[in-house]
Amino acid sequence: MSRMRGGLASAILTLALAAPALAHHSFAMFDRTKQVPLAGTVLEFQWTNPHVWIQVAIPDGRGGYQEWGVECTSVNMLKRQGWHHDSLKRGDRVKLMLYPLRDGSHGGQLARVVEVNGAQSDLPGYH
Amino acid sequence: MKSSRLLIAALAHAGLALLLCVSPPLGVAAGTVEPRMTSLYADPAQPDISGLWLVTGWFQFSPDKALPQLKPPYDALYAKRMKAFSAGKPIDDVTANCLPPGMPHIMVVPYPFELVQTPGRVLMLFEYAGQVRRIYLDGRRPSADDDPTYYGFSTGHWNGAMLEVDTSLIRADTQVDFTGLPHSDALVITERFRRIDHDTLQDVITLTDPKAYVRPFTVTRRYRLHPTWTIGEYVCEENNRNQSRSNGVTGFGVPPPEDP
Repeated sequence: MSRMRGGLASAILTLALAAPALAHHSFAMFDRTKQVPLAGTVLEFQWTNPHVWIQVAIPDGRGGYQEWGVECTSVNMLKRQGWHHDSLKRGDRVKLMLYPLRDGSHGGQLARVVEVNGAQSDLPGYH
Repeated sequence: MKSSRLLIAALAHAGLALLLCVSPPLGVAAGTVEPRMTSLYADPAQPDISGLWLVTGWFQFSPDKALPQLKPPYDALYAKRMKAFSAGKPIDDVTANCLPPGMPHIMVVPYPFELVQTPGRVLMLFEYAGQVRRIYLDGRRPSADDDPTYYGFSTGHWNGAMLEVDTSLIRADTQVDFTGLPHSDALVITERFRRIDHDTLQDVITLTDPKAYVRPFTVTRRYRLHPTWTIGEYVCEENNRNQSRSNGVTGFGVPPPEDP
């Protein structure tokens, strides 16, 4: 466990010192000047390239939900930061921080995972 | 005296050979990854710049200096792209549709590449979409029959510890970086690769394009060694949700609030 945590910490440090681990496409659609919180339930965890995606159901206050799309970096770059194919699953209650889409659509780029099913999480997103 | 010098030289040589050829010591804790660099380096005639490298810093081509002055019509094209970029609706980004970034864009994408040295050529195997750059050191030159390609035709030679590379025959429809900086089919790229310390590879990249740029411009980029990493598979077409929309704006896999 300590080895894993050490490895993760060094991976995070490496990433923080290295490139901003961004997209295969232009990042201009995201507002990277601010992070906004997002809390909801995972509808789908897409462990895919070119990007991993977290589809999240956000309660709309009227008994329904809005679906948000959260873009992460590639499978390989996430694995180097301690993520796994089953780090999230359908039904998980998550709190995330996002760089929101600038056009107001229901989505953004993952800044970090804050909480999964009530437990604090240290899964990083984009730096 | 002379023989002791010879002995020292022989020992130094043997030490170097050990460094180059022998795997890291055993006894590494189970479950950790042993660095193995030497398998990428099969040409003792070349200085060793092999390894798994990741670009450092921002992934715009020229993040910290002024971009080149453009000639018409490239100036108007770039102004249009920058306006869209600044508005958060980037246009004309071929990579959004999983087409290759090409040269020199691939040199600043934020994913690692493996640099392999073998007699007569240097290979760069990019994690990004499994792209490959081949740099020929065997004296071959492009022929009149060669067509422009995404990565162009690269030839190189060693100048001391520096690998000097020239690349031409690059397609005109690629962008220099994600901001959409254009170039013409006359673009010629020179690169000067040098390992400035064990963990740092430097590439001094000069773009000369008499059709599109008023004068050549040079950018220095650095790459950090990651000896324990392994290049992973990356198939861009697997689940690409960033396909360009009909107006050329990069998509996001969720509908925009209203039709643009």
